[in-house]
Amino acid sequence: MKKTILRVLGFALVLALTLTCFGCSSGSAGDKELVIFSWEGYIDPELLTEFTEQTGIKINYNYFNSEEEMLAKLEAVKGGDYDIIIASDYIINIARSEGLLKEIDKEKVPNYKNLNPKYLNQYYDPDGLYTIPYVAGTPLIVYDPAKVTCEITGYNSLWDESLKDQLVVMDHMRNIIGMTMKSMGYSLNTEDPDVIAAAGEKLMKLKPNIRALDGDTPHEKLISGECTIGYVFTSQVSAVLSERPDFAVCYPEEGMGFGIDSLFMPSNPPHEDAALQFMNYMCDPEVSARASVFTQYINCNSAATQYLPEEFLNNKAVNIPDDILGNIEFMEDISPEATEQMNEIWNAFKQS
Amino acid sequence: MWPRLWKGGSPLKKAEPAKKKYDRHISPTVWILYIWTVLFVALPLVYVVVITFLKKGDVWGITDQFTLENYQKLFSPVYAKVFLDSFLVAVSTTALTLLIGYPFAYFTAKFSPRLRSFIILLLMAPFWINSLLRLNGWIILLKANGAVNTLLQSLGIIDEPLKILYNNGAMMLGMVYALLPFMITSIYNSVEKLDWSLIEASRDLGASPFKAFVTVTVPLTVPGIVAGCVLVFVPSMGLFFISDLLGGAKTLLLGNLIKNELMQARNWPMGATLSIAMLLFTFAFILIYKKVTGAKNLGGIR
Amino acid sequence: MKKNNWLSKLFVILVLLFNYLPIIVVVVYSFNASKYSNWAGFSLQWYEKLFRNSQILRSLNNSLILAFSSCGLSILIGTAGAVGMARSRFRTQGLLENVSMIPMMMPEIILGMAYLAFFSIIRIPFGMLTLIIAHTTFCIPYIFINVQSRLVGLDPAYVEAARDLGASPTRAFYDVTLPLITPAILSGALLSFAMSMDDVVISFFVTGTTSNTLPLQVYSMLKMGVTPEVNALCTLMLMVVFGGIGLYYLLTTLLKKEKKQ
Repeated sequence: MKKTILRVLGFALVLALTLTCFGCSSGSAGDKELVIFSWEGYIDPELLTEFTEQTGIKINYNYFNSEEEMLAKLEAVKGGDYDIIIASDYIINIARSEGLLKEIDKEKVPNYKNLNPKYLNQYYDPDGLYTIPYVAGTPLIVYDPAKVTCEITGYNSLWDESLKDQLVVMDHMRNIIGMTMKSMGYSLNTEDPDVIAAAGEKLMKLKPNIRALDGDTPHEKLISGECTIGYVFTSQVSAVLSERPDFAVCYPEEGMGFGIDSLFMPSNPPHEDAALQFMNYMCDPEVSARASVFTQYINCNSAATQYLPEEFLNNKAVNIPDDILGNIEFMEDISPEATEQMNEIWNAFKQS
Repeated sequence: MWPRLWKGGSPLKKAEPAKKKYDRHISPTVWILYIWTVLFVALPLVYVVVITFLKKGDVWGITDQFTLENYQKLFSPVYAKVFLDSFLVAVSTTALTLLIGYPFAYFTAKFSPRLRSFIILLLMAPFWINSLLRLNGWIILLKANGAVNTLLQSLGIIDEPLKILYNNGAMMLGMVYALLPFMITSIYNSVEKLDWSLIEASRDLGASPFKAFVTVTVPLTVPGIVAGCVLVFVPSMGLFFISDLLGGAKTLLLGNLIKNELMQARNWPMGATLSIAMLLFTFAFILIYKKVTGAKNLGGIR
Repeated sequence: MKKNNWLSKLFVILVLLFNYLPIIVVVVYSFNASKYSNWAGFSLQWYEKLFRNSQILRSLNNSLILAFSSCGLSILIGTAGAVGMARSRFRTQGLLENVSMIPMMMPEIILGMAYLAFFSIIRIPFGMLTLIIAHTTFCIPYIFINVQSRLVGLDPAYVEAARDLGASPTRAFYDVTLPLITPAILSGALLSFAMSMDDVVISFFVTGTTSNTLPLQVYSMLKMGVTPEVNALCTLMLMVVFGGIGLYYLLTTLLKKEKKQ
């Protein structure tokens, strides 16, 4: 018995060593490498393959699942290890204040001129030194008109009693409390403690309507019929519409929150030249169009419009009319006291 | 059949002088565990404790200002409720896994040796498939247009799909599912070592099967029960992804709270404080549990 | 007793079924022609795509190396520690036991962040080494608990007898103690292997850019909602595990036949 076990273990050990040898032989960093850090499935793999074919630079795609985790990791490696990071505006703002961004040598990124000026020089990068906008988005309300009986015009409609246990919203404190404040007519960056407290009370009344809090795959819940209405991110709205074209989209009349995801270099990238080449590549109009179609988010490149396919331009989620786009605001960082107050409200909300 | 500690001294060693209560020197094989633990457990723990006394940075990170506010905030009603809720979930999970796990382990131990080890291997095999993937399997089964609902609807038992997911029931299902193997293996380890002749003896002395079970089998398997309960209770205090995936993220358990504090609230000191509180809470629970069940040695958990 | 037999067998089967239900789902969907959860016909395309997806294969490789190494290391450290502690008592014994179990009792996310800070302070670059250190540390308690639990019930007479017959402490250990605690080591090892192959949170914080692990990959893909290649991978892994079990039984049956002859 003991001998058999030893033999089996020995076999397993040999197997492990063989696998190790395989592993060692296939991995070789070399000079021509680019280390990307972003959400999984956020970049079209075909675009990456073509980049490698064009430039000979191999891509090493690492994933993170939350932007705060990304920043913690970035700080621990002192802005090294990674070449290109794609993340949201508010975290880039924090990274900027921590000194973790590297300036872009615009001469090596001639395609920069293609970018839509509407999306440049925002609050997180006022002089446009560090970032290249990748895609943009705004959360919208999407619902099943066959099952939802009340009229949906904006955030306030979500509080309707007929929607009991039907709603899915993202599991994100700032987004949801912000939405509540907007439904009351305030900015989602309000720091006034009285306003925040009132929003907290209003938020509690929403809890009975909420069936689930999900920021990752709410579209699955809407497609399967588990929930009949949702306040979800742009690409998720698209996903719902692609499987259930019968669903309707609502641009909340109280005004929308907006976010831009951008490429940036951390302060100490191991392969800066490759990074700049990649940035230039992503600003190419055709590449940018394909990236937007793949991610199903709003395109930020003026020269890319001609390459966007018909169904993308007709998609209500990713092609928002300019007049409605005028009524947007970014989610910026707020004072620590306000964050703390919101955090308490959020905890109480989750418990109820 | 001496249910004593090995180091207590066996009657066969009468010739040697009685051992001192504590040996001066530590057995060399323990050194490696000692060093490893100090380096990679104690030191990071020190870091965690240290940051519980620091103030969080305004926007990000930690400052080096000393403060006790994290501990003061610990006693607020919101956090107290979280501890209570998590405790209740953990206790229910432990009870349910014990209820299902003990009979399973007991029955399995009575089968032939080959069948026994086969069943245990069968039990453990899926464990090596990623747990998130397995939980996702449950979602696919239980969702509104999933297998269960479709079956029930086609059989005409229900008209509208049942709302099985995204409530406490679904969450408990997930917790029990994830932690059952721990309970079973611990109890099984204990039951397998049982000297069945003791039970036969009690039956010979006139005890009913039930009485024999309660007065002989259960006390002898207490180490396994306790080890199993600890292995289930401890993780269930800290798990957050099951309540997120299957419970609709609508409850606030300790694991979720700590994650929130670290990530969304960016309050690392508070997250650390809550973790230390959870650690102390868990230790206290184990101590009390030990006293109550009267187990002197929980098979390694003092 | 006969009456109980079928009842107990039924119970065991039901529990095992409960255990395997979601896995059957994963296996079935690995053959689904559609990426989403609506059945669209039988297809082997995900298996094809899996073998062409070098990223998943590399992360599988990394995870296996990591799991075997940390499992092996924790077996060494945990068993040595448990055996040593059973032999002699020393003052800080209880403290050492409790502290070594802390990784099991703390939420993974705080452990992850603690290791992040710790490794960056002592300047160990993130990668396979940090992964192995972290995984070994949280695997040790599982081995330790199991082995010590087994040692407690062990009759000291066995070892005393061996010593009385002239065996050195080492010999006594190898010939008497080790065979008796091997089942405990194995069950602890199975648990820690599974824990290592499942770990996401700690792995994220201590991994480097070249050491992506399978659970990290799976978690990221799950967050995006679709995991068809991973379903295929898990089905294959399950087949390997079952194949291994089958092989083991084959070997033992053959050995038994050998012994009889």
